Amino acid sequence: MLTARLVIGLAMTVVLLGIAGARLRYLWRLGSAAQPIEPGRRTSTGEIAKAELVEVVAQRKLFQWTGAGLAHAAVFWGFCVLLLTIVEGFGSLFTPTFQLPVIGNWPALGFFEDLFALLCVAAIVAFTIIRIRQSPRTEGRKSRFFGSHLGPAWFVLFMIFNVVWTLLIARGAQINAQEVNTTDRLPFLRGAFASQWFASLLEPLGRHTNEILETVFLLLALAVLLGFTVFVTYSKHLHILLSLPNVGLARRPRALGALLPVYSSGKEVDFEDPGEDDLMGVGKVEDFTWKGLLDFGTCTECGRCQSQCPAWNTGKPLSPKVLMMTLRDHALAKAPYLTASEEARAGLTPEQQAVATLPLVGPTGYAVEDPLAAYTASGPVAVIDPDVLWSCTTCGACVEQCPVDIEHVDHIVDMRRHQVLMESAFPEEASVMLNNLEHAADPWGRGASHRLDWAESLDFEVRVFGAAGEERIPDDVDYLFWVGCAGALDETAMRTTRAVATLLHEASVEFMVLGDGEACTGDPARRMGHEFLFQMLAQQNVETLNTAGARRIVVTCAHCFNTLANEYPQVGGHYEVVHHSTLLARLVAEGRLTPVAEVSSSVTYHDPCYLGRHNRIFSAPREVLGAVPGLRLTELPRNRERSFCCGAGGARMWMDENLGQRINVVRTDEALSVRPDVIAAACPFCITMLGDGVAQRQVEGTAAAGIEVVDIADVLLRSIRPDLTTDPVTTQGQQP
Amino acid sequence: MKIVVLVKYVPEPTATWKFAPDHTLDRSAVDGRLSELDEYAVEQAVRLVESGAASEVTYITVGPDKARDGLQKALAIGGTAAIHVSDEAMHGSDSVATSLVLAKAVERVGADLVLTGLGSTDAEMSVIPSMVADRLGFHQATFAGELTVDGGSVSISRTTDAGTERVTAALPAVVSITDQTPEARYPAFRAIMMAKKKPVERLTLADLGVDASAVGLAAAGTQVLSITPSPARAAGTVVTDDGTGAAQLADFLAGRGHL
Repeated sequence: MLTARLVIGLAMTVVLLGIAGARLRYLWRLGSAAQPIEPGRRTSTGEIAKAELVEVVAQRKLFQWTGAGLAHAAVFWGFCVLLLTIVEGFGSLFTPTFQLPVIGNWPALGFFEDLFALLCVAAIVAFTIIRIRQSPRTEGRKSRFFGSHLGPAWFVLFMIFNVVWTLLIARGAQINAQEVNTTDRLPFLRGAFASQWFASLLEPLGRHTNEILETVFLLLALAVLLGFTVFVTYSKHLHILLSLPNVGLARRPRALGALLPVYSSGKEVDFEDPGEDDLMGVGKVEDFTWKGLLDFGTCTECGRCQSQCPAWNTGKPLSPKVLMMTLRDHALAKAPYLTASEEARAGLTPEQQAVATLPLVGPTGYAVEDPLAAYTASGPVAVIDPDVLWSCTTCGACVEQCPVDIEHVDHIVDMRRHQVLMESAFPEEASVMLNNLEHAADPWGRGASHRLDWAESLDFEVRVFGAAGEERIPDDVDYLFWVGCAGALDETAMRTTRAVATLLHEASVEFMVLGDGEACTGDPARRMGHEFLFQMLAQQNVETLNTAGARRIVVTCAHCFNTLANEYPQVGGHYEVVHHSTLLARLVAEGRLTPVAEVSSSVTYHDPCYLGRHNRIFSAPREVLGAVPGLRLTELPRNRERSFCCGAGGARMWMDENLGQRINVVRTDEALSVRPDVIAAACPFCITMLGDGVAQRQVEGTAAAGIEVVDIADVLLRSIRPDLTTDPVTTQGQQP
Repeated sequence: MKIVVLVKYVPEPTATWKFAPDHTLDRSAVDGRLSELDEYAVEQAVRLVESGAASEVTYITVGPDKARDGLQKALAIGGTAAIHVSDEAMHGSDSVATSLVLAKAVERVGADLVLTGLGSTDAEMSVIPSMVADRLGFHQATFAGELTVDGGSVSISRTTDAGTERVTAALPAVVSITDQTPEARYPAFRAIMMAKKKPVERLTLADLGVDASAVGLAAAGTQVLSITPSPARAAGTVVTDDGTGAAQLADFLAGRGHL
């Protein structure tokens, strides 16, 4: 019998691992058809080890959700421990008395193996409850599992359950199959409480039967496990294998903040003199890097991203999850073509040929009520609808949540790049903004001559670079104040600019502005995918800043901040960039600004995505507000890392929002739910969006007339210079 | 059918313009662009090619070295080739002289249909289309809000204060295009790159057989005596409705002689 079980066990292993291996080799070949990864993605071994420890072993992101996180950790750690039982199982195929080297049959081993086996079962119960309570059938698109493959997910739970019970029966029978009073054939001595319980159930069957049971269930356990492995390589459950490399190759500390430049064949594209065949973004699925394909393959369809996405949650067709799934499914549908040689391609079926020429982005004819129809991995017309691509605000909530570090925003922008640079296909209303950036260097098209208008009503002089004939920023200047287009040209944002300038003046911080020397940082162009325009604006600004000798820059716009601090180093601009919230918090802490006047308002704070999630500035704005006497700060239900976008990011500010609910109104309603007098933010675009939302609710009579939307600097100013804030704040933002 | 589009490279309307001592615009002190109004004509020409009504589009501009950028922009939107007439002697030319040079250039290329914008965004004379038509002996149909070409004739719709007219002219003709037509498409980066490979011929007055004495500041029929910037727009009057808002508004309008 022992020989038979060895032969059967090995034959099963060879066949099933062979199938899984062939599948993996096929996937590897598919990945090889994609673009090389960007230089700089491979970090040091230490960095990778740290990432694997924190993200995989410690399950950091999964624990952002306590219940589901605990359940997943139980299964993950459980399977890590159960790996030992697999080794033991294989060992006992060869030697019935097999024990793990070094560990031997230490009682703690048996205990932990059984404990984690049972924890796995507990986790399966938890997952089952979660899946029933959050079922798409009852919850519709509010469910994070909406659009996920539900059948395979249940099958995975079933298979994990099968792994555990077959194992425990095999171990129980193994105990009973011992010579009386010996434990020679056990990989564990004592402590395997669950196995022992199964043993007590099986004992009456007698030793001989138990010997048979041991062999049968050992083989069954291995069969289940190996079958599961094969299933994994063909399913969304590939994350078991792929999350390790995916996490190891992910952008660190996170795929937020800066966008990567445009790469073609692993080299940065020179927009002054691009190569004839250079790729400009992603127009075909194989234009993604193989790390991109790895992202798609690693997606476990858990839907954490979908549950946080402002587009999805306001009835738009974009779901980061379904997008990743669709790109994966499309890559697999196109795989026969991509992995075939030139000659073999002619022999493919008409269906395979059709998928090979399918455009990545194009009208799918979906209806808004049926968002999944906007994703057609195998066509017939295109893979994803343009509405999917253009719904993204690049807020990064998906990236923030993803337990396996998928870089959704980068992929969306890469596809936008191809649409804009190669196809000139984008929501046409955005061309006004692009033309304005090109011709007037600001999104409104006002022109540089208006960039100092904001300073006219101040009761002190603002120093303008070059006005006194200086060619370099003088040494006595502490900060170059980057005003930004909104700060200089938008009525509401000009208030913030004046407030910050006044506060800096009060704190005796010497600052200077560039006046008409500023141009848009290029953020909206870059996030729309217009890398060429971004590069032009960025190079122009970097030249201005470097020529002026700028070192320290203070900036009020969260988008300017992100671009100056994180993206200008890509084009040779290295500065110490500080957001005004950080600087003001520091000035208050140092006693250079002392809020004295009571501001007896109830204030809530909205975390701008590009300040918070993208740049981790969460506490400084709260410190500023907290320093104001009398002020009562109430947090929004969704705050900090989980803040909900205002709707303006990703150049959405300059596009019409015709699908579903308006994001700014949804966020405004959330803010109004905490009954504030003042909604504070720290980004001009958030203030415009929420200001519009409040104005709309005021017209409709559902918001009190006095509610204001202002910058945190404005609130601070009321406490420091109460004499200045006499005029009511306009909450109506200037429409582009 | 061959189309020629006359385009102008103008100073950025949003920029601050500076003037030289001779009261001409200091082109080196301000960024330029293809006139927004000409972009409508470019778009119409490209559409005629796309619809199969025309075979090729050539752009002609008269302007300084940088005017080449305007041609590049037009070529990125579409079209076949461009002619850049540049000559120091052109400095300060008025519309009469410019139309002479443009007409000579059109004759050199040969055209069945000449398209222009409705005017330039800098000088805003809007007389070039008529002058060129006159010099070429072409029919003219101006202020087209719609344009169709059918065999040997061009039809336009033309909206005036009195109503909308449909005007048909036999080719060859000059048609000026208004901003009632669709906006020019936003050129893709690929199109911008491809435009760099399209032929741009650079010509002087001598190439066109135009006598330098017929053009330039000295030959201009008018003389600019002085330039005064227009006053900045003052802030508007805000009427706060304290119950007498309507009366205040009426008083305001009456005070301006509007009532």
